[in-house]
Amino acid sequence: MSTTAAPTPGASREDLARLEEGWGERPSLRSWFSTVDHKRIGRRYLVTASLFFVLAGLSALAMRTQLARPESRLLSPQEYNQLFTMHGTAMIFLFATPMLFGFGNFLVPLMIGARDMAFPKLNAFGYWVFLFAGLFMWASLPFGAAPNAGWFAYVPLTDEGNTPGLHMDVYSLGLLFLGIATTAGSINFIVTALKLRAPGMSLNRVPLFVWAIVATAFMVIFALPALNADNALLFLDRRFGTHFFDPAHGGNALLWQHLFWIFGHPDVYIIVMPALGIVSAVLPAFTRRGVVGYALVVFAMASIAIISFGVWVHHMFATGLPQLSYGFFSAASTIITIPSGIQIFAWLATMLLGRLVLKVPLLFVIGFIVTFVLGGFTGTMFALTAFDQQVTDSYFVVAHFHYVLIGGAVFPILAAIYYWLPKITGRMYHEGLGRWAFWLFFTGMHVTFFPMHLYGLFGMPRRVYTYPNEPGWAGWNLVATAGSYVLAIGLLLVLIGVVHAVRRGRPAPPDPWGGDTLEWSTDSPPKPYNFPVLPQVHSLHPTWDETSRTSMTEGATDDRIMADGRRTLATSELDGRRERTVDMPESSLQPLLLALAMLVFFTSMLFGWYPVAIVAGLVVAATIAVWLWPTRRPEQELGVR
Amino acid sequence: MSTRDGIAAATSTEALTTELPAGRSLGWWGMVMFVATEATLFACLIGSYFYLRFQHGGPWPPDGIAKPALLRPLMMTAVLLPSSIPVVWAERGIRRGQRWRLRTGLAATLVLGVTFLVLVATEYAETLREFTMTTNAYGSLFYVITGFHGFHVFVGLTMISWLLVASLRGGSFGAHRHDRVRNVAIYWHFVDVVWAAIVFSLYLTPRLS
Amino acid sequence: MSTHPGPRARLAGGLLLWYAVLGGAIAWAVHLIAGWSVDELTCANGSDRVGVLPLRAAIGLAVVLPALATLGALLAAALLWRRTARTPRGDEPERRVGRSRMLAVVGIWLNILFLTIIVLGGVALLVLPPCQV
Ligand code: HEM
Ligand SMILES: [Cu+2]
Repeated sequence: MSTTAAPTPGASREDLARLEEGWGERPSLRSWFSTVDHKRIGRRYLVTASLFFVLAGLSALAMRTQLARPESRLLSPQEYNQLFTMHGTAMIFLFATPMLFGFGNFLVPLMIGARDMAFPKLNAFGYWVFLFAGLFMWASLPFGAAPNAGWFAYVPLTDEGNTPGLHMDVYSLGLLFLGIATTAGSINFIVTALKLRAPGMSLNRVPLFVWAIVATAFMVIFALPALNADNALLFLDRRFGTHFFDPAHGGNALLWQHLFWIFGHPDVYIIVMPALGIVSAVLPAFTRRGVVGYALVVFAMASIAIISFGVWVHHMFATGLPQLSYGFFSAASTIITIPSGIQIFAWLATMLLGRLVLKVPLLFVIGFIVTFVLGGFTGTMFALTAFDQQVTDSYFVVAHFHYVLIGGAVFPILAAIYYWLPKITGRMYHEGLGRWAFWLFFTGMHVTFFPMHLYGLFGMPRRVYTYPNEPGWAGWNLVATAGSYVLAIGLLLVLIGVVHAVRRGRPAPPDPWGGDTLEWSTDSPPKPYNFPVLPQVHSLHPTWDETSRTSMTEGATDDRIMADGRRTLATSELDGRRERTVDMPESSLQPLLLALAMLVFFTSMLFGWYPVAIVAGLVVAATIAVWLWPTRRPEQELGVR
Repeated sequence: MSTRDGIAAATSTEALTTELPAGRSLGWWGMVMFVATEATLFACLIGSYFYLRFQHGGPWPPDGIAKPALLRPLMMTAVLLPSSIPVVWAERGIRRGQRWRLRTGLAATLVLGVTFLVLVATEYAETLREFTMTTNAYGSLFYVITGFHGFHVFVGLTMISWLLVASLRGGSFGAHRHDRVRNVAIYWHFVDVVWAAIVFSLYLTPRLS
Repeated sequence: MSTHPGPRARLAGGLLLWYAVLGGAIAWAVHLIAGWSVDELTCANGSDRVGVLPLRAAIGLAVVLPALATLGALLAAALLWRRTARTPRGDEPERRVGRSRMLAVVGIWLNILFLTIIVLGGVALLVLPPCQV
């Protein structure tokens, strides 16, 4: 696709040919299913997550259409319940995190100068699981069996007696299934960033985006088990008659809430953190300087990742526990705004001190700052227990979290789409179209969600399928609905822009923006092996610094070319000292097979076909056993006595 | 060397900037992260146990269920905790290229692990007559936590058998290739430590109060 | 710093670095879990003593001890910062010291932040009766 190749005097023609032979994949049906290339997997994550975004967005439009007028009867209450639950659940679990993991997948190996993720097959497996889990959940909607008790699924509403049917089983099993993908992806990110950084990339030279992904991955590792445990217990309660959440038999409904929010609060940051990493990655290119206060931004991310585990009780200010316990948590909830503020000020300082280049990605970054700061402002209002108890479960809350989530995730994601489109597709997008998309989206977003603050304060509760004509409600609801259509048109223009770029766009040079990180030092789109010569990194901004750049050209050495087979370099955890070469796996159908077996497992659990589930479990075990089976090697090589 | 010299040496620039950790393999980190997330899962379950227990108030176990008998769980502990020793011994052996030690050690652990599962089964045979998973929250907690741990032991044993088969085949492990042995060992130690936490929480603490 | 520390000194130094970076975070976690669960459980039992200690004193310990541990970590981070003020020559030492210095900055701020949170928890303990709902 690309016509302009990065100059590579470093690797000889033979080297390139051998690299191509080791890493290239001939397009075929089989290679489509068996690929382990992080770039293809990353692209798939992006496309699939966008698809789920469209589905969740259409659900939102249906709801907004219903709510345009009071006493409207377009949707039945049952339909409305399923729509808002699927909307919330899909936006959080099937769109935001996977989308950001998609960027992580595509970019982390490129940014740290590696040839793939640490565990490429696991990576492919993670994608298939994500896809299947998403389809598993959405497939329930046409049958009227979709989850219907809100995205946080509080018991006792969700126990078998109150919500019979498959609805909440789809929820608990679907999220457990999806959790496998998220956990696998996170482990992969951590190990990749720890071990595969290019030689010379000590911790103080790691791009902020990579720090953000790693911090996120750590949060997933320690937060997701709480959700998994919660869903497993819910499923057992519903299906097999246990009593974890059942007060009549010694259980306790609050247990669900505790476990859910031990996960849920970090999850807000799991969603927002990589998005903030995107902002830190986009800014240098459009301000022509590094982000101000690198170490402080790293500190901010680390502290958010840690403190976010200590604030879960603030979601339960309405539930009645000793004041002093709240005090401990309130302290953390208040302080956590400081590191977020530090990041915002670091970006503002970067923009003030740099030369602004007002291209579409930067527009979205600015849109992000405005929106996110407004959301953060209403957020600090919740830290006041008294206020929180007033507006809990009103539309004020809906307004707040859409400001945070759309500001903190969707704006950066859109910035990222425009920013990395040239790298991912090798084509440039149309600037004018992008600007239209930005302004429509930005306006639509504020017209939709700002009025919700108002009618929330006027007392309109959330999660109602329709409403009486109370003073101040109907008019503002109509405004919000109109806004949501403007917003949708903006998003449609984004889509058109991407399609237009892929079809008609100008070919992109390796470095269209003058970016600072390593992905801009290689072709657009990158070759399957990413870098003909792995770089030797000398600074935080390797693409801007001459010595790092020439290490890939004149300064190339054979031990960084490694043209035979599929190899990349492992380096030391903290200082990026060269340790050894590692062999990367070939493409394989095992990841797909494993994910399919798991799909069968979860589907049969859903319908209660337990013998089938057991067989599927055995297939899972067998596939893993074959996958990890050691290849036979001569005794000498092994070192046997 | 005096303590002062020791402190001076440890707080020198050289010592403070020592690279720690360093040199671990990819697989090692992968397994450690996996174990970390699994450990959190068990922490959530045991946390739920205490949460429900203390929110419940009153006698524990509730509804006239007898306090858990101690003899058998102590036997189980005596079987499971030492089962880590042969794994360590086997791993040390294969690092020196001694395949016989790998095989013997794994086989020994396998026997101990299976013994543990048999003991679990006999325990269930007894307790199930008194209460089940659906009797009350105590029953749910007891069976789900011990059952989930038992499942982990089973998975660990599967891994160990798998290693044993691979090592009997030959051409699998040696002084330069033992990552998989290392990783399974980490998992097995983890399963052991979790058992210690379970014995303490589910069997010992009800007798303390 | 021309002496070459032995392996034990290196191990101690390496661990000290991580204490300087993460000590406050761990102390805070202990403070939160201990303070919350002691408060919650004792009050739920309708009692105001934990063993021999009055409840207030017990929670007080869960504030003071972690605060001291955090202070220690802050001092360690400050020491690390001073020890990494000069960047030595050579690519490898430069990276090693540069990386440690960045971790020192991160550690200093982390420990200040966690100390603040713990102290705020202590203030809450002073003004609120432990079992008021
Ligand atoms: C794209 C434009 C969007 C529109 C028009 C929209 C609209 C809505 C509406 C109307 C509700 C239901 C309110 C209720 O009845 O209580 C809702 C709920 C929700 N939305 Fe959105 N939303 C959008 C984007 C997003 C995004 C990007 C996210 C997250 C990343 C998100 C997350 C949620 C969540 C978590 C809920 C709560 C669901 C529940 O109550 O269980 N939304 N949204
Ligand atoms: Cu929260």
